[in-house]
Amino acid sequence: MLSFKRKESNSLSQNLFKLQIPFRASEQFQSTELMVFLSEQIRALMDKPNNIRNMSVIAHVDHGKSTLTDSLISKAGIIAAEDVGVKRITDSREDEKERGITIKSTAISMYFEVDKDELSAIKQKTQGNGFLINLIDSPGHVDFSSEVTAALRVTDGALVVVDTVEGVCTQTETVLRQALTERIKPVVIINKVDRALLELQVTKEDLYQSFQRTIESVNVIISTYNEPALGDAQVYPDQGTVAFGAGIQGWAFTLRQFAARYAKKFGVDKEKMLSKLWGDNFFNPTTRKWTTQPIDGDGKPLERAFNMFILDPIFRIFDATIHSKTDSIDQMLEKLDIKLSANEREASGKPLLKTIMRKFLPAGDALLEMIVVHLPSPVTAQRYRVETLYEGPMDDECAVGIRDCDPKAPLMLYVSKMVPASDKGRFYAFGRVFSGTARAGLSVRIQGPNYVPGGKTDLFLKSIQRTVLMMGRYIEPIDSCPAGNIVGLVGIDQFLLKSGTITTSETAHNLKVMKFSVSPVVQVAVEVKNALDLPKLVEGLKRLSKSDPCVQAWISETGEHIVAGAGELHLEICLKDLEEDHAAVPLKVSAPIVPYRETVKTESSIVALSKSQNKHNRIYMKAMPLGEELTNAIEEGKVNPRDDFKARARILADEYGWDVTDARKIWCFGPGTTGPNLLVDVTKGVQYLNEIKDSCIAGLQWATKDGVCCEENMRGVRFNIMDVTLHADAIHRGGGQIMPTVRRVCYAACLLANPGLQEPIYMVEIQCPETAIGGVYSCLSKRRGQVFSEEQRPGTPMFTVKAYLPVAESFGFNGELRAHTAGQAFAQTVLDHWEVMAESPLEKGSRVEEIVTKIRVRKGLKPEIPSLDTYYDKL
Amino acid sequence: MSSEGTSFYSQGEEAITRKIELQDANTCSLLPGTTQFTEYFELSWTISQIKEGDSKRIALQFPDELLQYSVPIFQTLKRDLRPGQEVYILADTSYGSCCVDEVAAQHVDADLIVHYGHACMSHPCRLPVIYVFGRQYLDIEACAQNLVDSISKDQIVDKSTQVVLKVDVIYAHCAEDVRDALAAKGVQATYSPIPRRLEPTTQTITSLPELEKSEIPPIILYVGPESLHLTNLLITHSFSTVYRYDASTQGVIVESAKTNKMLMRRYTAVQKARDADVIGILVGTLGVASYLPLITHIRATLKKAQKKSYTISVGKLNPAKLANFMEIECFVLVACPENSIIDSKEFLRPIVTPYELQISLQAEPTWSGRYVLDFNGLLNEPIQQDESNSDDDTDKPVFSFMTGTYRHAKKYGAATPDIDTLTSSDSTSVVIRSQDNTVARLADSAAADFLSARSYQGLEMRLGEDAPGVLEQGRSGIARGYQDDHSGGE
Repeated sequence: MLSFKRKESNSLSQNLFKLQIPFRASEQFQSTELMVFLSEQIRALMDKPNNIRNMSVIAHVDHGKSTLTDSLISKAGIIAAEDVGVKRITDSREDEKERGITIKSTAISMYFEVDKDELSAIKQKTQGNGFLINLIDSPGHVDFSSEVTAALRVTDGALVVVDTVEGVCTQTETVLRQALTERIKPVVIINKVDRALLELQVTKEDLYQSFQRTIESVNVIISTYNEPALGDAQVYPDQGTVAFGAGIQGWAFTLRQFAARYAKKFGVDKEKMLSKLWGDNFFNPTTRKWTTQPIDGDGKPLERAFNMFILDPIFRIFDATIHSKTDSIDQMLEKLDIKLSANEREASGKPLLKTIMRKFLPAGDALLEMIVVHLPSPVTAQRYRVETLYEGPMDDECAVGIRDCDPKAPLMLYVSKMVPASDKGRFYAFGRVFSGTARAGLSVRIQGPNYVPGGKTDLFLKSIQRTVLMMGRYIEPIDSCPAGNIVGLVGIDQFLLKSGTITTSETAHNLKVMKFSVSPVVQVAVEVKNALDLPKLVEGLKRLSKSDPCVQAWISETGEHIVAGAGELHLEICLKDLEEDHAAVPLKVSAPIVPYRETVKTESSIVALSKSQNKHNRIYMKAMPLGEELTNAIEEGKVNPRDDFKARARILADEYGWDVTDARKIWCFGPGTTGPNLLVDVTKGVQYLNEIKDSCIAGLQWATKDGVCCEENMRGVRFNIMDVTLHADAIHRGGGQIMPTVRRVCYAACLLANPGLQEPIYMVEIQCPETAIGGVYSCLSKRRGQVFSEEQRPGTPMFTVKAYLPVAESFGFNGELRAHTAGQAFAQTVLDHWEVMAESPLEKGSRVEEIVTKIRVRKGLKPEIPSLDTYYDKL
Repeated sequence: MSSEGTSFYSQGEEAITRKIELQDANTCSLLPGTTQFTEYFELSWTISQIKEGDSKRIALQFPDELLQYSVPIFQTLKRDLRPGQEVYILADTSYGSCCVDEVAAQHVDADLIVHYGHACMSHPCRLPVIYVFGRQYLDIEACAQNLVDSISKDQIVDKSTQVVLKVDVIYAHCAEDVRDALAAKGVQATYSPIPRRLEPTTQTITSLPELEKSEIPPIILYVGPESLHLTNLLITHSFSTVYRYDASTQGVIVESAKTNKMLMRRYTAVQKARDADVIGILVGTLGVASYLPLITHIRATLKKAQKKSYTISVGKLNPAKLANFMEIECFVLVACPENSIIDSKEFLRPIVTPYELQISLQAEPTWSGRYVLDFNGLLNEPIQQDESNSDDDTDKPVFSFMTGTYRHAKKYGAATPDIDTLTSSDSTSVVIRSQDNTVARLADSAAADFLSARSYQGLEMRLGEDAPGVLEQGRSGIARGYQDDHSGGE
């Protein structure tokens, strides 16, 4: 049913390197000694927060994150240089290797020593030249965005990888935006430069222009979402915050490196040289003068400094190696002072090119320099991140501890995800110490997402059993972990489902709950093939919902086990994990189920009336649409039930055109007390109204959870209580009489207000060459897709098509797309919005009625929507 | 009758309006005084039974649809009995009409009850009962032929195949004939006769002659209309194939297809019960033997599981009655097997059977598809003890399958907390101030807890605290369009 295969180009080398690295935590690194040595060094550095860099690698899918990560890992000596670009050590799962994509974000800690001369470039405080880099490699596929969110929370900087050819894509923008809202500082590497040279055969100036455009589009996004507290987060090649390279060949450079090289050669100042290497700076070799004009005095064109000093040697190496010009290769090797062993020199073509480039411009050096020099240390970052991290007041002990990254302050640790441990069913709580020190045996308060300061819900007093260092799937016990570091905890997993705050301060508020850019919108029902396996499935589902930040599992009213994921691929991976790992029993999976939302399209034509069972109480109500803007605002939490009602009324009046008196009398949100439906009291002079408020609220929660058409959640409906007639005797107007009546009157009001169905709509971004455009369009039109943008990426034959596609029609879309475009088109889908379906479920024979009937039958309800007089009572 | 259980709770006005619909096609033709009438209600047999037992006061219990025949029956009985023997007609029953209403009978100090119409055959606990089901005509030959035909269509039946015959009580009189007819056609069905008279018992005797627990018959044949009785049969024998012969259509339907769906819905109910900390025990019968031991048993189990229980008797259930107990998160209904399964969307809170509650209290949800409705079966059910988990943390959160998140269960009736630590450790204790301003602590009260969370907590004398209210003009006009309702209408 679901399938996903990545394009073949990058995976050809995988078969060669099926070295079967152990990926269970119980198994150890091949060289345990190295590991111990490393962890001792790392532990020592943990106490020097100024020399720590916590960073994540983020990008669009397939732009080369994991491959680049290898370069750094190789520099740290964990893998051999030859394996760079192919081993992908952070892709530790078997399916990650098979598919060639990253599924889970993986952390790795590395120790580096930086050249003492380079230390002066670092604008932050440092202690010595040893640095600890905690790197998290994250997945690029949009279905796994929640993993990126969890990674960003625990890091302070981000390495944004952009493909030279494909440029800035949606997912690049999404993750960059998320990074910026979390106040995470970005640096950029433009990757796959080799593709531009080998496949597209671009000229030097074209390549420069392409770089320039990519950097500009990154900076446009950064300036839109810029946080003043973060300072100028835009990236500039001439400041060293942009690198260029090819992860698969293991090379990369920043202008700073070339500046240093040429400064020595020409005997000029390094900083001065650096500023000349980017932008409209031209060097006239005859006069040996710098100019900003692209022509010299005689009108002859001049070459741009970047092209001349940087691209030219690279182009020449490529040219010589690919065309096997042995003489010029040797000449260049000598000139560039690159020493090859006899063995290495014997190779030719691409392998030789890789060796030369890797020795000429080792990617590890360029990345390390960018990370160490330009990304903030925890000390620097937490000073401005504390406001976005902490929910409590900015002057309490916890806030101060976070701000100062103080290892002696109360512990403040955020668990951002759970990593399965080798011990089946147990998990490491993976998180970041923002303040204080986490150590084994320490008694802590575990505060879940629903914890309210001073309350008792979602609070557990337990002790940390052990602290560990996470190295991919390998772990290394450490005695303690001070502020500013990333750590794994043992013994916490039973008390937190996915994430939460761990503290030692009794007054601590929560660290803010993460906000995901994707939501679980694709559902399937799973059942066991053998009834006796049910307990295993139940246990497996529990583990599954723990192991993934985004997946959800529950039991529907009809008794089916539902698993919901962000998209087809995500769900496929989750089900595979469930079947093979968490539950380990054979499963039957239903066809995908799409959730719908019920809404109303107009105001109720007349006032709905329902009587209580004893006929002594009457409630009059009208339903009306809430408006898409306000609905979204509620869903995003901009308008929420915890706001002060006066402030909220002001916002509603100013921004959404509400009447202030009405806006002050919002009784509740629903369903689940926070949902996007409102109950508003617009009555005038009704006696005892306050008595029935609680019952009305309970009734509304009930009605909005199971809507009238097909018992799906309601969305975007405002219920106005117009009038209420209550029995004078309190005993006859108790909750039992009122609550079912409120539910009925809500239903009646909806049926009178032209009820409708909303369906989830994906935004699809498809990248394909021009020849495949026809196939893309035919696939989309067959599935009710609507194209709203089509752009060609300048300088490439690649097109980007953006379209809206109903989730209900999206199943199998990727497969069909590949079939229709000979595998050239690749789509990313992400939930964009809910759209009201045009027809009415009450209209016989309409498509919506058909959908509603199907849902009702599936839920075991009568196929027809109940008639109005089921809920509407005559006066 | 649908599984919605409308016969179980009825609204007052419904009772008045439904009179005509309920005139059964088969019974309306009966005229008092005819032999048909006497035969249908088995009057001579009843009289002989009464005489045999030498009862002094006889209570006649009729369901609503047979109430119209109560007077002629009463007159016939009165005429034929000895002068000292008094006959009473019992009025409306407090629970289901299938159960024997012993409490009502005790009001007249009866020593024998004659129960008319459909019965669930639950064992009475106080008085002997004679059952008059009404002899419904059945074309035995057609019935047997149809059943045999449809079985042989699906599977090969030989002598060794275990086939069990079950009939609706209205066909009890001819069940043996059906069995013999089946045997003549090569299907050896076993049939355990439905008793006509039940003596009171407090012993552990199963109410319905249950099938042997160890052997699950692969095929069950059922003769009768759709009813709660059939539903029960299906749910308790989910591993068997059930064929139903309907006399009105003369057709055979394989009923077991629905069973799985039904069980899955109950599975959801079990999950909801798992999430509940406050449980209401609904008393839905006063007549079924061993209902009292069962209630005690449930209370004890709940206490052991540190859940709060309230015992409530509301008579016939309806949503309004149960919605008055907002603090209760789940109800468990102790009623006769036929009325135990309530599957209605109208109720705010789930209603489960005692068996389902028992499953929900187990640490690990096992659901084999086995289902027990019978009280004694329940009491004898081995309780699985998970000793292995006892060393685990008790206040560890549990994964709730209704919400898909962790739930922190409230614990009631934990080891009596120290008064000093009470304030800090026990979240469920509520401090209330009584009228003379003494502070009383109400530990472990779910209701008080709930009250304190309500926005309206009853009438308070907030003397001098509130500004006097300004008189306000209410709405005028009618609901179709109030005068000040500008938003709509125009």
